[in-house]
Amino acid sequence: MQAITAAVRKVERTGAGDAALRASAISKSYGGHRVLDDVSLVVEPGEAVAIIGENGAGKSTLMRICAGLIEPDAGEVSVGGRVGYCPQEPGLFDLLSADEHLAMFAPALGLSREQAIHDGRVLLSEFAFPLGQRGQCRHLSGGSRQKLNLALALLGGAQVLLLDEPYQGFDHGAYVSFWEHVDRWKGAGIGVVVVTHLLADSKLVDSVLELKLAPDGDCDQR
Amino acid sequence: MSLRRILVTAKMTGLELARRRIAMGLLTALPLAFYGGSVSRGSGAVITGGVAMAFSIAGASIFVALTARPVDPRLILAGYHPTELLLGRLLLLELFGVAVAGLFSVVMVFGSDPAHPWALAGGVGLVALTSVPFGLAVGSVSPHELEGVLVLIGVVGVQLTLFSTQLAAKFLPFWGGQRLLDHSVNPVAAGAAVPANVAYAAALFAIAAYVMGRQAPTVGGVTRHRTKRVTAR
Repeated sequence: MQAITAAVRKVERTGAGDAALRASAISKSYGGHRVLDDVSLVVEPGEAVAIIGENGAGKSTLMRICAGLIEPDAGEVSVGGRVGYCPQEPGLFDLLSADEHLAMFAPALGLSREQAIHDGRVLLSEFAFPLGQRGQCRHLSGGSRQKLNLALALLGGAQVLLLDEPYQGFDHGAYVSFWEHVDRWKGAGIGVVVVTHLLADSKLVDSVLELKLAPDGDCDQR
Repeated sequence: MSLRRILVTAKMTGLELARRRIAMGLLTALPLAFYGGSVSRGSGAVITGGVAMAFSIAGASIFVALTARPVDPRLILAGYHPTELLLGRLLLLELFGVAVAGLFSVVMVFGSDPAHPWALAGGVGLVALTSVPFGLAVGSVSPHELEGVLVLIGVVGVQLTLFSTQLAAKFLPFWGGQRLLDHSVNPVAAGAAVPANVAYAAALFAIAAYVMGRQAPTVGGVTRHRTKRVTAR
């Protein structure tokens, strides 16, 4: 594992180049409160990066900016291909089943309904999702909802995975399986970014970006 | 723009609505109760029932917009265009609106024997037409279901308290339908009911599309154009 500071590299050129993800000089404020201040991050293909930091340090904000879901006040994001994004809170339709979610995502990803459901079930089974439970998502446990959340991020393939605390609610077996998958994704040349609160996770990645709250409440990167 | 994505969105919206059976039943029963409660007071019951039908269709549309909000960014990131999502929901909800409007037309034509039954059906249809984009627009800007429903109650409630001949009524989105319903039972001209209603529906749809579309450039900037540059302000 590289030293913490080595994970943070200033970027001077435009475009992702060969990087899976390149976020340069990102700043973001909410209501006058600066959440991110000149934060940069580069993720190479086949590299796993953990983003750690206290609550409110801007980890999820940085992920959402990298995913393109919110705009930074300043900075630039470039990606080398399709982004798979797993938000912290599972964004699911409570009244639809897992298969119906997969079918809903199918046309967006250029997959047939059958292909999406097949591929999705393979992904879900790898995380021990209760495939026999065909009911609506509102009846799923928190961990099962999170597994579906993760599978939707992986469906269709991606060149960069942005996973915001993806294993909340996972049991130990699923947690271990998740990190085995991270190794597999790295082997496939996928850039992986994982937001985590668990310091032990930092040993499982190639580099770490630590976001810290500055004394005045602003966020700084270390 | 992909027809398949629009139809898949419509189908999933339909599945969601079908599984809200109790809520949909209550929403449909509410305007029927308005009509039933006022039918003994004469022709005004048609106007009351017809305009109150907006509670059913716009209410369903608000629920659809709000439940989709947490998922929409991911769907757009995956490859949906915001307009495809909006059109899919519009399609399904307008079909739902046609079904509810048909039910209400039959009930009120037989219950009130209007002078112009086709105008009654047309008025109910106009209310249904406007209710969907109204609900989608309100749902797209409301922070929660409560606020959205309160806006719905407020707008429809004020429309119900006004006569269609009053100037203030024209500034509310269901005026066109209200006026045509008025025409079906009273000696008032339909006037510009249809174009006014269509204009309100189009404007409300434009608001919903604008709010949805605000999500697109940022997402598209990353996924479709590879590079996004934002200059410091």
